Amino acid sequence: MSVVNYGTREITCKIVYYGPGRSGKTTNLQHVYSKLPEERKGKMVSLATETDRTLFFDFLPLDLGTISGFATRFQLYTVPGQVYYAATRKLVLQGVDGVVFVADSQSRQQAENIESLQDLHANLADEGLDPRTIPLVMQYNKRDLPAGEISAVEQLDDTLNFRGVPHFSATAVTGGGVFETLRSISTLVLSRLSAPQTRDS
Amino acid sequence: MANESRKGSEEEEGGEFADFMADISHEIAQRVESLDARPKAASREAKAVKDKKKTPAPLDAGVILEWPTIADRIIEEIR
Repeated sequence: MSVVNYGTREITCKIVYYGPGRSGKTTNLQHVYSKLPEERKGKMVSLATETDRTLFFDFLPLDLGTISGFATRFQLYTVPGQVYYAATRKLVLQGVDGVVFVADSQSRQQAENIESLQDLHANLADEGLDPRTIPLVMQYNKRDLPAGEISAVEQLDDTLNFRGVPHFSATAVTGGGVFETLRSISTLVLSRLSAPQTRDS
Repeated sequence: MANESRKGSEEEEGGEFADFMADISHEIAQRVESLDARPKAASREAKAVKDKKKTPAPLDAGVILEWPTIADRIIEEIR
């Protein structure tokens, strides 16, 4: 996907929220959606099962209007975290410009976090994207849970953030850290606009 | 009281998105400047190359007026 089309003066960024099942990816998007002014609210498409788990993916188009002469659109996606939806995750990752990895802070979920991160790397590589260079932000969610149930941020960072990318503590269910995370990944993606290889003229 | 609290909450809600928009707008403005600058710079470079490729005008270009004389000189040179 082109990040910027200089000819038509459009900027389109595709950001995917990745992570294990029940880590809070959909909750992130729901919070962003809830904070949008009415005039900017598009349709958030969410395909969930009867038990409210994401079956296919969530899609939230963010039309930010014209900024500096460029019509700017952000497209936020989530992937289904469950292992057996591998094909869907690959599909959603196509043309991605930036990734938010939503990790579950619960200590007992560490294996799932690692598995999901490995899955992300494999799928990015399959898409011809370099997992070492694609814009990435880590979000350690569910920080509101009792201290005894969650890993320390430093520990999560040691285990998951070997690239040393920006990381954020979050409580997506109340909105804590959600916009900080989105702002960070958006800035990272936009910072690549000046890189010639991402320019589609 | 409840209304004030709700109003404050609404402002806060708008504020979160507004802050995000402000940051994104700033970032895009910066990037757009660099994008706008690039085609101009490229165009300047292309013009410089084009100018460089032009055959330089002879020093006496403004002096030679009689073409038949020049033709005679060329023929003379060929011989």
